[in-house]
Amino acid sequence: MGADHRAFLDATLPYLDVVYQIARHAARDGQDPEDLVQETYLRAYAGFGTYRGGNARAWLAAICLNVARSEARRRRRRPWEVPAWALLDALPSIRADGGEAVPDVADVVLADLDAAAVFQGLARLPEPQRLCIVLMDVAGYTARETAELLRCPRGTVLARVHRGRRKLAQVLAEAGVSYGRP
Amino acid sequence: MDGRDRDHRLLAGFLAGTLGHAEARRWDEHLLECEQCWRAVREDRAGRQAAGLLRQPAPLGLADRVVFAVEVARTEVPRHVGPGSQARTARPGARLRWLAGAGALAAGLAAALVVVLLPGGRVTGSVPAAVAAVARYARAIPPPARGQSPRIPRQAVPVQVGHPVTVIAGGQRIVVRTWRLGGAEAVVAESVRPFPMPAHAQAVSGAGMAWLSRLGTLGLYCHNGPTSVLVAAPVPAAELALLAARLPLA
Repeated sequence: MGADHRAFLDATLPYLDVVYQIARHAARDGQDPEDLVQETYLRAYAGFGTYRGGNARAWLAAICLNVARSEARRRRRRPWEVPAWALLDALPSIRADGGEAVPDVADVVLADLDAAAVFQGLARLPEPQRLCIVLMDVAGYTARETAELLRCPRGTVLARVHRGRRKLAQVLAEAGVSYGRP
Repeated sequence: MDGRDRDHRLLAGFLAGTLGHAEARRWDEHLLECEQCWRAVREDRAGRQAAGLLRQPAPLGLADRVVFAVEVARTEVPRHVGPGSQARTARPGARLRWLAGAGALAAGLAAALVVVLLPGGRVTGSVPAAVAAVARYARAIPPPARGQSPRIPRQAVPVQVGHPVTVIAGGQRIVVRTWRLGGAEAVVAESVRPFPMPAHAQAVSGAGMAWLSRLGTLGLYCHNGPTSVLVAAPVPAAELALLAARLPLA
């Protein structure tokens, strides 16, 4: 193995789990997450000559997201998205006007969580919120890193992740997924 | 941004701990009185907890696959390997620079590929990327001692060694497995697309679309059925066919 080859693997392989987390959620339309991970590493390797060190974790995440987007474009299929308004309309919402009584989502129990249902629930969120949740809550990126990756203000990331978490909790409650006891 | 958006952002900031002391204290007090905001806090926590359960380690074998793919990419002409073409997304400037040096680079890397793949140094013509990737993987198999052929007892049962590795080379998705049979080891690669026939390969008569080839000390045997199977092992071609017949091929 060449020195740069070994240096590349040394710098990036520790983040394989993190890239895989992102790939699992960024892969759409039948894309294989493992293919996406491999593609991410190949592109990163191709660009390693211009990599100036720094946050390799964030660098890999950016590449993974770009690969997922370009692959989705290549397949000429739009990712399935549910507009936020449609999702909220379909759910028991919190009404400021004190209208319809709604069940307290947080009263839903917090044990025996069905990961598959959570995965599906997450997939129903609008793309920006889903991405923020995947990066912060699943892959463990900080709000600052997420903001840099998505090229938006940190406050926007925090607002998106907050809205996304709430919607996820509501979707799970609506689906009757039990995930804990109050 | 309307008042509701602003409240959303402030609450998100409060939950992330980014508000100043005074503002955070105001929210603390507000939450004691406002059921609606308190519900939002609880939903935020529930959603975060649910999302956290999606953390999953990378599957076994993915690291091997990545290392292998990078290793294959290192020995190839620097074009993109895998789904979606880097060439398509490359900036025009980068593409021009690539084209400017393409001739010399391709010649150099092609020579390197031959040296890598052919320990004997014998030039046998171009090797398709998918075949080269399998051959490179099979190079890890130790060759039999000089002048000896691996003995394969009649009752020997093939045993799979390690985990399958999936790689994409030349745009072709390939699943690679290593099998041990008696004293011999072989790499069996499967793909739904036929492995391209190297220029120097020989078609095998009476065996459908099959071919035999040799890369240095490696023998290659490819059989195209519903899936294409490429067997690579450091054994003579005649023995390779016998070895392949004993393996559980698709």
